[in-house]
Amino acid sequence: MIKFGKGNLRVPQWSRRVFMVAGGCTPFRKYFPEYKLEELVMMGYKMMLEDNDLKLSPKQVKDCIQYAAYGEFADHFQDQLLCEAKIHDYLGLDPLWNTGIKTGGATGGAAMLNGCMAVASGYADCVLVSGWERMDEVDTRTGNFYISTAACKDFETRMGRIYSSYYAPMANRFAEAYNLSEVTRAKVAVKNRGYAMSNPNAQQPGHHTVEEVLESRMSAYPLRFLECCAMTAGSASALLCNEEMAYKLSDHPVELFMAGGTHTLRVADRRHMDIPLLPNEEPGMYDELLKESGRWPGFESFLAARFAAYLAYRMAGIHDPLEELDLVELHDAFTISDIQTYGDIGLRPYGQEPDYIESGDAYYEGKCPSNLSGGLLGTMHAVGATGIWQACEVFWQIQDRYDYIHGDKKWWDRAEKEKPADWKSLQVKDPKQGLWISHAGVGSHVTCGILRKAW
Amino acid sequence: MTKAYEGPLTTKFIGEPSEIYDDAGDFWVVNFPRSITHHHTYGLLTPFFKGLTQGKLLATKCTNPECTENSTWLPPRADCPDCYARTEWVEVPAEGTIYAYTMLDYAGIGIEMETPYWQIDVQIEGVDTIFKGWLKEGKPVTGMPVRAEFNTANPTHTILDICWVPK
Ligand SMILES: [Zn+2]
Repeated sequence: MIKFGKGNLRVPQWSRRVFMVAGGCTPFRKYFPEYKLEELVMMGYKMMLEDNDLKLSPKQVKDCIQYAAYGEFADHFQDQLLCEAKIHDYLGLDPLWNTGIKTGGATGGAAMLNGCMAVASGYADCVLVSGWERMDEVDTRTGNFYISTAACKDFETRMGRIYSSYYAPMANRFAEAYNLSEVTRAKVAVKNRGYAMSNPNAQQPGHHTVEEVLESRMSAYPLRFLECCAMTAGSASALLCNEEMAYKLSDHPVELFMAGGTHTLRVADRRHMDIPLLPNEEPGMYDELLKESGRWPGFESFLAARFAAYLAYRMAGIHDPLEELDLVELHDAFTISDIQTYGDIGLRPYGQEPDYIESGDAYYEGKCPSNLSGGLLGTMHAVGATGIWQACEVFWQIQDRYDYIHGDKKWWDRAEKEKPADWKSLQVKDPKQGLWISHAGVGSHVTCGILRKAW
Repeated sequence: MTKAYEGPLTTKFIGEPSEIYDDAGDFWVVNFPRSITHHHTYGLLTPFFKGLTQGKLLATKCTNPECTENSTWLPPRADCPDCYARTEWVEVPAEGTIYAYTMLDYAGIGIEMETPYWQIDVQIEGVDTIFKGWLKEGKPVTGMPVRAEFNTANPTHTILDICWVPK
């Protein structure tokens, strides 16, 4: 059993408020040979500088940056250790300090958290957070092997050499424990890939049906190809700053609250723990559930996500996530990991996760729509960029700029795509705050970020 | 004692480094093939892998009287994460019940097994964690009893030296 010491549950208190004022990304593709890695990063970085209605010119903004947090999951993919140094040099930011961050799938989220810490602590007033992955130097199955080495190489990697096979047992456990049907799982894929149709940067958009998802090729039972995200090349950037800089740079800054949690690399090493309760939960409400399942988090839930949300909600003063959040971006690397997270972050109590999809709450114009960007399933998982790009998508929603970022012909041209005739605006009406989850491994690292309209 | 690698030192590069993979656009994409060997230590967990070759399933247990948990770990750990005491080796039953499972169909490159196959997570009496493995025959169901078989004749010296069959 895991037991917390007295000091372990302290809610982080930042010394200064933290704001996000700009975001940028590239189109996301399976194969992106037209640009070198640093050129791809420059593309997202320049979008951040030029397309966010900042009140200073790109050169003036550059002159404000004091620190850079860079996210990259796997050196293997680029075959280049310490890409950070090459990128930083290429962006013309030498000799400012930079840090490379690597926390698996949560790398982008962790880079954002690192950037927040730099602003909150006073290390810097203006911080660049940038992340990337270039998974197109190797074929898909070699890429699958690289990613699978993020499982335990002594006791797990040889059992699959593909990450879906480490999530699949959880999917089966979850289905049995919480009565999840494969149709509900498929609906997640249909929804997110469908929303990706409105995103010019999306890698795998598509108007699929539940039947198509269920008929797609099996990766690891019960997870099918259309339930798994793909290899991606691309980058994303975000600009974070303190309050004074936020006034200086933007008329529409967004305040940022953020925390993280971690758990075992091997899912099977999880031991029982008392469930840390979210602000909207009552002591004793999970007694029955624990009696049946015997252990928490078991294979059903992500302790790291619960812990990150436990802290982030208290940092941001959120009491009822479903009522107070206007949208969420969740880490739907697999349909099942998306569904598992609904309980962890309190969109539904544990055991009732499928209802978030089935009730319609998760859809556009629902109570708290999720993954309007297209998510990882529909748009991308350029791992080191993912958690940054998710933040950008929430940020643009809160700024009421979804239509510009996703609808302007300029972006469809940049992506060398035709804007669909049935393109649909997914701008949430008058959003005040949103959340995003950046999630790694089989829940080994998770960050929970909350973006709130500042003024 | 540390042993330096004393294999042959070759400077020969395998492959065609200058081969162009893609020049369909204004860019060149160039192939860089190579083959790599790692020398990986099992460190203090070596008895576990040796145990497999002797038909034994070895776990580690914290026996420190000061420890609040005294957990039994499989996969094993040389150091207790609760109290940091050095753990002790214990033989655990080579049988258990299926806690979770999947059928692996599409594998990453380099998989040493033939797909598709059943991957299972096994709950073992007296062990505090759950142990990942594969089912050699039969079809898994949650709660199904299984027993281990060991590859003692032709060991691979990897975790693949243990598999499970219905009990
Ligand atoms: Zn101990």
